[in-house]
Amino acid sequence: MDKVEYTEAERWLIEPKPGTAAARARDFGVDLSLTVSNLRLTPEERIRQLDKFQSVMRELRKAVVTAKQNAGHRAGTETLR
Amino acid sequence: MLDIERELKLFAEYKIDCVVIGGIAARAHGSSYETNDLDVCYARDSANLDKLAAALASVHASLRGAPKDIPFRLNAETLRHGLNFTFDTDIGPLDLLGEVRGVGFYEECAKDCIRIEMFGEVFCILALAKLILAKRAAGRPKDMAVLAELEAILEFETVNKLRSEDK
Repeated sequence: MDKVEYTEAERWLIEPKPGTAAARARDFGVDLSLTVSNLRLTPEERIRQLDKFQSVMRELRKAVVTAKQNAGHRAGTETLR
Repeated sequence: MLDIERELKLFAEYKIDCVVIGGIAARAHGSSYETNDLDVCYARDSANLDKLAAALASVHASLRGAPKDIPFRLNAETLRHGLNFTFDTDIGPLDLLGEVRGVGFYEECAKDCIRIEMFGEVFCILALAKLILAKRAAGRPKDMAVLAELEAILEFETVNKLRSEDK
């Protein structure tokens, strides 16, 4: 995977100076490299990306429920045997 | 589960006067925060409440977390007597706020909101500085991380603006 190149402006967030809001966010545990990735997108793209993520999560949740039901069904069948 | 496109399109379809706030607004401003619901601040004039009630009925909105036997009639009158509502709908959770703590009512939220075109419609997103005020006023532990991130984004935007003015 290619190394991400940051602009001088983006380094304000990636390598924050002490006492800045960026430094406080980093100390709070915010992954500012994700923030920079989002800031490279337009507001529309940011929301579309979240919508896509939500859609994937819906599918994942359905798959987990199905898998659990199938596992329960198999366990029940095995108990009957 | 949240379906952002369908929820936003619902507001556009019924021409509801509202401003997107909360996690989706944070996301629009560049935050990496993941949210599970759509929060909007809505206008409380009669015409808007009528449209809002019709929109909510179309997606079978019910009060989230309320016991099933609590009588709740979804119409403009009910919305007028309340202020902030949390709903479950066919298309996901939806939080409606008549007033945003730290900012004010719809009119204050709509002032200097950013307008973005998405899914073929234009939506109002709460301005970053106001979103920060709202998160500060809410003061919930879950807001603290996103607040820190939003403040960093505001600082980043301010520094960038100053840099571009210097050039």
